[in-house]
Amino acid sequence: MDSLFASIYHTLNIAVFLRRDEQCFALQAQMPEWLMFFLGTSIAPQTCDLTDVFPYLTCFMDDAEQHWQAKRSAPLTSGVWVETNELGQELALEATALWADGQAILLLQDLGEKYRQEVSRLQQVRDGLLTQEKLENEVQKRTLKLKQREEEIAIKLVSLTSYRDEETGAHVRRIGLYAAAMAKALGWPVCQIDDIRMAAPMHDLGKIGIPDKILLKKGKLTEVEFSIMKRHTEIGAKMLQDSNIPALDMAAEIALCHHEKWDGSGYPRELHGEEIPLAARITTIVDIYDALVHERVYKKAMCEKEAVELMSSMAGAHLDPQLFRVFMELLPVMRRIRTEVHEIDDLIVSY
Amino acid sequence: MIQKKICLLGAFSVGKTSLIRRYVDSLFTDKYLTTVGVKIDKKTLQVDGQDITLMIWDIAGEDDLTNIRTAYLRGMSGYILVVDGTRPHTCDTALSIHRMVRETVGDLPALFALNKADLKTQWQLDANQLKQLQQSGCPLLETSAKQDAGVEDMFHQLVRHMGV
Repeated sequence: MDSLFASIYHTLNIAVFLRRDEQCFALQAQMPEWLMFFLGTSIAPQTCDLTDVFPYLTCFMDDAEQHWQAKRSAPLTSGVWVETNELGQELALEATALWADGQAILLLQDLGEKYRQEVSRLQQVRDGLLTQEKLENEVQKRTLKLKQREEEIAIKLVSLTSYRDEETGAHVRRIGLYAAAMAKALGWPVCQIDDIRMAAPMHDLGKIGIPDKILLKKGKLTEVEFSIMKRHTEIGAKMLQDSNIPALDMAAEIALCHHEKWDGSGYPRELHGEEIPLAARITTIVDIYDALVHERVYKKAMCEKEAVELMSSMAGAHLDPQLFRVFMELLPVMRRIRTEVHEIDDLIVSY
Repeated sequence: MIQKKICLLGAFSVGKTSLIRRYVDSLFTDKYLTTVGVKIDKKTLQVDGQDITLMIWDIAGEDDLTNIRTAYLRGMSGYILVVDGTRPHTCDTALSIHRMVRETVGDLPALFALNKADLKTQWQLDANQLKQLQQSGCPLLETSAKQDAGVEDMFHQLVRHMGV
């Protein structure tokens, strides 16, 4: 090897090897000091199996071999690996394969300061990422707590109406869970799924503004009484709107529109099809399902089969037919919610 | 003597290097020092009266800055996927590495280490993540390099799983 190049390689702490055969490499020029600990001083110019000395190279030699077979002069690097020297210090090494002067060359380099700088850079970046992760986790935990509190407040609020009519606390909780399951199946973002879980149970909040003699009347309502009863949709919407809280905005929309029907025959605005907000269409379906399969003071519970048959007959007229299909696909999920969320004794009010 | 290559894989700062230091040198430090590249340690153990040398490859944690070179996996007999229970996304990283390894080198003995068990009260993995780990078909072990809990068992289980 040219003495000038040999001197340069030595200065750069690079050991130059010529490949003799698949396993054996012969050191060219002077052995760098760092390498002596690993190879011993007597190796040059004899050959050695470098994968024995540096097991890391076992994962590089296949690629290097292909590189040499193709006689590529561009350098192919192995990636960094770390060895421990005689002083217990870590050395970062990297191998480079290339084809030069008709020969297969392998360079081994102690990356020294370059490696220490890279470690220091990555250490700083990763320390920063860890701090960021911790902060994000903390924010997420606190946001979740706030969300749970909001939900709890919403349920308490809704339970006010439970004390006035036949609905139960468990019913309103189930409505939220059914609606969230539908929203999830429709691919809504997580924050909106959380919103509908909180908003759907508030659909009947406006009943708080309906006089007891109408709300609790056992017999059929007169036309005038029914027109007053229908006002619960607008009363609920007024109570919930203009808060700038997404879940309450959605709740206002649901409260106003959950008695609208797909064919436009609903109230209060006689909206048609997709004019009815999606959250309200979802709530209508799950509210009817839960009401049908549970007992009320004025009616017995239907079995699920009967309930679903009845609802099928309503799809396209009362209910959004496409959403009803989604509901049907989710029936096992709905069933699980129905059977696992039971009545809460202190919220059951019967008249 | 039988020699087997095993790799420790996972996101950065999950404790791969600490698990190896604990197993090989019985040492632990709380200070986080990032690994760059690969470090190989050797540990000889006896299984059924037979000496086995484990070549333990400590591979730099995966993140946006570092990807695991598939070449590292050549000749590997088994691997350990390390998850930091206090950092939920490290579970997703481990599962994604597991998929990558299976696609690259096929079905090899593997296990998941839920590390930092000394901080179990601060673990944040959700039920779905735990379910995914349990359904991975690999053993799931709790470990703590700090308290020397489950570390030796983890390596020995993998060795047994490798059919040595």
